[in-house]
Amino acid sequence: MDVIGPALAGFSVAFEPANLLYCLLGVTLGMLVGVLPGLGPAATIAVLLPITYTIEPASAIIMLAGIFYGAQYGGTITSVLLRLPGEASTVVTAIDGYQMARNGRAGAALGIAAIGSFIGGTVAILGLTFLAPLVAGAALSFGPPEYTALAVLGILLVTTLGGGSVRASLLAAAIGLLLATVGRDPIVATERFTFGSDELADGIDFVVVAMGLFGIGEILFNLEQHRGTNPKPPPIGRAWPSRQDWRDARAAVGRGSVVGFVLGVLPGGGATMSSLVAYAVEKRRAKDPSRFGKGAIEGVAGPETANNAAATSSFIPLLTLGIPANGTMAIMFGALLLHGITPGPLLIGQHPDVFWGVIDSMYVGNLLLLIMSVPLIGIFVRVLAVRTAILAPLTVLITMIGVYTVRMSVFDMLAVAVFGVLGYLMKKVGLEPGPLVLAFVLGTLLETSFRQSMRIFHGDLAGFAGRPISGVLLGAVVVIVVVAALRRRSHRKTVDNDVLAVPGPTKEP
Amino acid sequence: MDQEQEEVQEEVQEQVTAPAGRSRTTAVAAVVSLAVGLLAGWTAWGMRVGTLSEPGPGLWPLVVSVVMVLSSVALLVAAGHATESDPFTRGSAVVLLGAVSLLAYAWAFERIGFEIPTALLLMLWLTVIGKEPLLTSLLVTVGATAAAYLLFVVALGVSLPRLIAF
Repeated sequence: MDVIGPALAGFSVAFEPANLLYCLLGVTLGMLVGVLPGLGPAATIAVLLPITYTIEPASAIIMLAGIFYGAQYGGTITSVLLRLPGEASTVVTAIDGYQMARNGRAGAALGIAAIGSFIGGTVAILGLTFLAPLVAGAALSFGPPEYTALAVLGILLVTTLGGGSVRASLLAAAIGLLLATVGRDPIVATERFTFGSDELADGIDFVVVAMGLFGIGEILFNLEQHRGTNPKPPPIGRAWPSRQDWRDARAAVGRGSVVGFVLGVLPGGGATMSSLVAYAVEKRRAKDPSRFGKGAIEGVAGPETANNAAATSSFIPLLTLGIPANGTMAIMFGALLLHGITPGPLLIGQHPDVFWGVIDSMYVGNLLLLIMSVPLIGIFVRVLAVRTAILAPLTVLITMIGVYTVRMSVFDMLAVAVFGVLGYLMKKVGLEPGPLVLAFVLGTLLETSFRQSMRIFHGDLAGFAGRPISGVLLGAVVVIVVVAALRRRSHRKTVDNDVLAVPGPTKEP
Repeated sequence: MDQEQEEVQEEVQEQVTAPAGRSRTTAVAAVVSLAVGLLAGWTAWGMRVGTLSEPGPGLWPLVVSVVMVLSSVALLVAAGHATESDPFTRGSAVVLLGAVSLLAYAWAFERIGFEIPTALLLMLWLTVIGKEPLLTSLLVTVGATAAAYLLFVVALGVSLPRLIAF
């Protein structure tokens, strides 16, 4: 398949003035929400879904993608300066980054993080450019059994690797699958769980679920965790590493790019996990591991490169298979559906402008972010003066009016508030909303392809094992379940003595 | 290793090993979802399950309900010996107030137009929930209500229910 031609054509989409503007808008917003602790990229994208409804699909996704990878840059700033990670994926950066800042090397830490992020991001986009068409091509032959296996694998990976306890994530996923069945049966149109309501007959709108759980739910949860005003950040000199810093960190940047790219492709891997693994890799490879925790520059460079590479490569399963790799990608999935575009192997052929336009815009976005994170960093540090007490009502307002505008429905406004409460309660009891949203998004696909498969196999469940690809995928499902169970058992034992050396599950936004 | 550093390590450690369950609140949640799962399964059974080769509308919801029941039970078992808890505090009352205000906002939205409910919602969230000074709250409220009008009605061309139609 010719990749170069369409890939270059995508630049004409990415370089349209309007799209450049949306890209700038997206990465700026991403930087901002990255800096602000509390509101994450998933919540921001969810809240903005209705607003993107009125703009061109390619532009909308360019902007939303910018928010996602932009937040990886922004999250670093508070990790390094205040030891307050803006995002889960920058938690590990706080260890050595904050120590560097205390030693007066905040500029070097932020500089190497920005450069590492840029390199990691760019390497991952190159990987995405060449790998995505291959995966999409291979997936063209997938039938219902393959999609059934793929969706099960995706949901299971997110529940085992994604974060929180496996049991809790599995329950969250089950709730998501159940919510997806509300409304008319996708094949014979029998009404299910509608309680006689006309509004529920069409099913629960994805926008309502995402905005409620991620947007309102997160705001309600944060109301309780009042931190008051944010502490004042220490002054930073130039955000630029010295020649020696670069020499110390460049190997870590290289390894971080690879770790991030590979883990980002896996469902449930994502930015958070890859940053932890990259840190562990650097610590193990170091000649003198005791430097870690005291301001080792590799401890900043590796994870920061990896989280950005992962953020980019996690687009691969979404754009080529239609399987989101994490909660944020599930919202991207919803955003594409909102524009009448179904992500999957056909995307590259049916909407090359969206596919390549979005990918190519990432080169631009990363360049913009490098500029923002190095010379303009002072501006973003000042954002910390914004109080959550003012930000929360404004976000709530945009969410409530925004959800109304999608279908001009007060029912949706009530529903978003109800899902907000559900999201809050879930967080309170330790259930992450990510797996729920992901399972909800995949629910209809999973049911439809499962039922079609059963017809193909004449009711024989063993039929899944009989087809090479679905068989291998289901084999992977079994392996994951076994490995996860075994690793958890040994993990609990080792974690006390070997702090941070073993990368474990974390909270994925 | 100095003390501050230990704190960071602990913080990160918390992120790395999320607790298996959260004691009583988790147990309550598990029981509630168990009940929902059983109810959903029972409803699905009544919807015509069909056979594996000719699945009816009830089959898939039934499968999902079983998964939900099993994972609820698993969570309930795990919650028994978990130590960490995130109890409901006085701050939870603020959350309740916030949630109720959103429902009231949605209720009033189409009845009396978006302007007054929007201003009231913002004032409530700023002064009562956010404990911002009155003047700041007023300024933000007026500014944000106007901005919402400009963004949704003027820029995006959405027709919001309005008090003053023109």
